[in-house]
Amino acid sequence: MPSGSMSGGLSGPTSPPHPTVPSRPLRPSRYVPVSAATAFLVGSTTLFFCFTCPWLSEQFSVAVPIYNGIMFLFVLANFCMATFMDPGIFPRAEEDEDKEDDFRAPLYKTVEIRGIQVRMKWCSTCRFYRPPRCSHCSVCDNCVEDFDHHCPWVNNCIGRRNYRYFFLFLLSLTAHIMGVFGFGLLYILYHTQQLDRVHSAVTMAVMCVAGLFFIPVAGLTGFHVVLVARGRTTNEQVTGKFRGGVNPFTNGCLRNVSHVLCSSQAPRYLGRKRKAQTVSVQPPFLRPQLTEAQLAAKVLDNGIQGDLHRSKSSLMESQSADAEPPPPPPPKPELRYPGLSRGPAGHSEESSLLNKAPPTPTMFKYRPTYSSPGKNHTALTHAYANQMSRGDSLKESSSSLLQSSQQPGYRSEPSLDGQEGGGVERSGPERTGGGPGGPPGSGITGYSLGGRSYPSFSDPTVLAGGASRSSNVRSSHNALPSEATTSTSYKSLANQTPPPAPRNGSLSYDSLLTPSESPDFESAVAEVSPGRPRTPVVGYSSPFLSAQIAQQREAELHQPCASSTALLASPQHAGYLRGFPSSPPAPPERERERQLHDSQPPHHHHHHHHHHHHHRPPRFSRPPLLSDSGPSQPSYPYRTRSTDTPLPNTTHPPRSPHPPPLGKSLSYSSAAAAEMQYRLVRKASASVGGGGIQAPKDEIQMKSYSQINGQPKPSSTPLSPSNPVSVSTRPGQAYSSAGSSQSPAHKPGGGVKKVTGVGGTTYEISV
Amino acid sequence: MSSAPRTATERTKLPYCHESFHNLQELRHSASLANKVFIQRDYTDGTVCKFQTKFPSELDSRIERTLFEDTVKTLNNYYAEAEKIGGQSYLEGCLACLTVYLIFLCIETRYEKVLKKISRYIQEQNEKVYAPRGLLITDPIERGMRVIEISVYEDRGSSGSSSGSSTTSSSGR
Repeated sequence: MPSGSMSGGLSGPTSPPHPTVPSRPLRPSRYVPVSAATAFLVGSTTLFFCFTCPWLSEQFSVAVPIYNGIMFLFVLANFCMATFMDPGIFPRAEEDEDKEDDFRAPLYKTVEIRGIQVRMKWCSTCRFYRPPRCSHCSVCDNCVEDFDHHCPWVNNCIGRRNYRYFFLFLLSLTAHIMGVFGFGLLYILYHTQQLDRVHSAVTMAVMCVAGLFFIPVAGLTGFHVVLVARGRTTNEQVTGKFRGGVNPFTNGCLRNVSHVLCSSQAPRYLGRKRKAQTVSVQPPFLRPQLTEAQLAAKVLDNGIQGDLHRSKSSLMESQSADAEPPPPPPPKPELRYPGLSRGPAGHSEESSLLNKAPPTPTMFKYRPTYSSPGKNHTALTHAYANQMSRGDSLKESSSSLLQSSQQPGYRSEPSLDGQEGGGVERSGPERTGGGPGGPPGSGITGYSLGGRSYPSFSDPTVLAGGASRSSNVRSSHNALPSEATTSTSYKSLANQTPPPAPRNGSLSYDSLLTPSESPDFESAVAEVSPGRPRTPVVGYSSPFLSAQIAQQREAELHQPCASSTALLASPQHAGYLRGFPSSPPAPPERERERQLHDSQPPHHHHHHHHHHHHHRPPRFSRPPLLSDSGPSQPSYPYRTRSTDTPLPNTTHPPRSPHPPPLGKSLSYSSAAAAEMQYRLVRKASASVGGGGIQAPKDEIQMKSYSQINGQPKPSSTPLSPSNPVSVSTRPGQAYSSAGSSQSPAHKPGGGVKKVTGVGGTTYEISV
Repeated sequence: MSSAPRTATERTKLPYCHESFHNLQELRHSASLANKVFIQRDYTDGTVCKFQTKFPSELDSRIERTLFEDTVKTLNNYYAEAEKIGGQSYLEGCLACLTVYLIFLCIETRYEKVLKKISRYIQEQNEKVYAPRGLLITDPIERGMRVIEISVYEDRGSSGSSSGSSTTSSSGR
C-alpha cells in the first residue's frame, strides 16, 4: 500500500518498512520505462502481425507467423516473469535476531568463501548482515539475494529468482527483434514497387523501431551472456569487485550456465504462510550431562565470529550494565566504510562500545581490560595521556605544534604516530617515525590521542595542532574519517594556515602534548597490540590502539586528566583543549576517532561521559565509533543502532572537578584543525563549565565552541553551523570550512596563546 | 534428569541473559522464552545453502553436541538436495519454458518439495529432541534462509528475572 501521497506525479516518502513485507510508495515515474517497453513490444509486434505476416504466410509458409507467434509469446512470458516475480527479497530481520549484533557491532563481517575474503555489510534497513552477493536495492528498498541490478524496463529488481527469466527475455527479445526486422525486410524487398501502400509504410516503421532497439538490446544480451559465462552479477561487474581478482562464486563456464538455466526455481521468502508452532515446550527439560571440562570449555568457548561478537557484547553489557544502561537500539543507520564517517551515535555508540565486546578478535582481546575498570578505564587512560602530554606539550614550542598541525598527514586516526614534527602520516606505522615523540600507533588514537594531545587544554599550540605527534594524532583524528577526504581536507586545511600558528586547532592539542608523549603511546601501542594493523583503515586502527594505550596509561597513571578527558571527550577531532578533569578517555578517543572519520559531524557530546563506554571496540573495517556520533551520522562504520544514542552528554557527569587547564580561553589557530580542536575544547569546557552537553553532536560542538569563546558558558546555546566560530558539524566539512574560514592569525604565545578560530574568533589559551 | 531451576549463575552462563528480552513468547504457562540462538550460514562453499555446524556455546548446557550437529548436517543435506542441478531440475525448466511457465501454477517445484520435507523434519526434531530440552528450532525459510533460529526456553519459576520479564508467564496465557 503506497504510503506516499501522489500529487502531480510526485512520489510520496518511503513508507516505513514492514517487518516482513516492506511497502513502497507509489511512484508513477517508475512505471514510465516499463510502460514504454511494453507498448513498443506489443504494439510493434501487433502491427507486424497485422500488416506483414499475412502476406508472408501466403508467400512463403504459414510457419513464419507461427514461429514469430511463438517467439513473441516466449518474449512476453519471460517479460512478465521478470517483471512480476519476486527476485529473492529477504524479509526484514526480526528484532530479536538483531540483538545479538548490537551496537558497536562492526559494519562489515568478513567471511571466507573458497579461500577468498568476502565482506558482508550490515544492512541498516533490513537489520542483518547481507549475505554474499546480496545487495540492497534503493528503488525497491529491499535486500535482494544474488542481486544483479534493478531493471527499469521491467520495473523490478533482478535477483536470484528471476535472473533466469530476465536472461531468457533478453535472448528471446533479441531473436524476436531480428526476426521482425528480417521478415519486414523481406516484405519490403518484395514490395519495392508498392512502398506507398499502408502495409509497406507500417512495415517500414516497425522495422525502424526494431532496428533502433536492436542495438541496445543486443548489447545488453551480449553483456549478460558474458556475465553468465563468468558467473558474475551485473552488480559485481560494474562495481569491479573481481577486477583482477578471483571470483569465488564461479564454478566454471558450463556449471555457471547450467546454474542459471537449469537450477530449480528458488523459493520465495516473502509471503509464505507460517506454520503455527504445534510443538509444546514444557519443563522439566532434559539437560545433558556436563563434565567439568565441558563447563570450563563452555566458558571459554568463543564460538564463531558471530558468536564472538555476541558473547562479547553480552559480557560487556553485563559488565557495564550498571555504568550505563544501554539505550534502546535505534535504527542503525547504514555506516559507510570506516574512516569515512563517524558512528552515528557517538555517545551511545561509544558507551556501548565500552559495554560491548569489540567485534573483532583484537578488540575482544582488549576489551576485558577496558571494561573491567569500567568507564574509568577509559577516563584514566585519557587522563593519563593528557597529563603526560600536557606536561610535555607545554614545553613544546608552538612551532612544533605548527609543524605537526601542518602536516597534511594528520590522519584521522588517532595516530599518535605521525606526530613527529608534524609529519603526520596516515598510516599508523609510519607515523611513529617522525615527531618528537613518535606518536604511538594509530590504534592509540582514541585514548592515546587524548593523552598526548591534550596535555594542556589551555595550550593554544595544542589547538594549533602543534608539531608534535599529538598534533599528528589530532590531525589524524580530523583526517581520519575518510581517508581520502579527511586527510585531504585536513591536509588542505593545514596547508592553508600559515606556519606560525598551528593550523588546526584540533591538531594543536596533539602537538602541544609534545612528541615525547607520543613515543610512549606508540610504544605502548606497539606492545599492546603488536598485531594491530598499523595502518588503520581510516582511523580504524585507532580504536584499538587507543584502547591499548589507554589501558596502559591507565595502569600507569590512573590519573584522570581533565585535559585529556576534555580533549578526548570532545567529539571533535583531537585538539580539544578542554581540560576535563574526569572526562574519561573514552570521549576523547571517540572524538578522535570521529575526527578520524572526518566525515562524521562533530559529535555533539563531548564525551562528557568519561566512561570508557565511549571506548569503541575496534571494529574491523570500521573506524572506531566516536561516541559522539549520533544517529545522524550515517557514514559511521559502525552499525549505529538506534541504541547508539548520544551518550556522552547524557552520561557525562560534570567534568567540573578539574578545571580544564585550557579553560575557556583557547586560542585556536586558524587552521581547520584548530577548529576541530575547538570543538573538542568546547566540549570539554562546556562540560566543565556547563555540565554535560547533551545536544547532538552538532549542537554540542556549537556549545563547546561558544563556551570556549572567552569563557565557558553553560552549554545552553547550541550554535548553529552558521556560527562563524562554530565548528562545522561534519568533521570533513568542518575542517574544510574551518580551514577556509579561519584566519591565519595564530599567535602562539608563551604564557597565553591567542588563536584565531574559525570565523575570526580569537581565543586565548593559557599555556 | 529433571531440569533444576536455573540459578542466576547458570543463567549468566548464557552469552546474554536477556532479562530484558522483551520478545518473550510463552508457549506454555510453565516455560518462558529466555534466549534465541542463531546459527549462521556457512559460506565457505559459496552461496549454496549450508549452515554452520559449530556448536554454539549457549546450548552447551541444553543439548548434546552430537544431536545438534546431526540436525544441522541433515538440514544441510536437504538443502543440497534441493539445490542440486540434475535431471529433475532440468526437466522442470524445459517444461516450464514449453508451457510458458504456466506449469508453475500446477505443480510444485523441486525446491518446494524439499522445503516441505525440511519442514516436516524440523517439526519432528522439535517434537522428539528439542522441545524436551526446552528448545525450539524455527524453520530457516522464515528467516530468509539466513539463520537457523533456536529459541531457548527456561522454566518460568526458576529464573526470576526472566519470569519477571516474561509478563505472560504468570497470567498463564
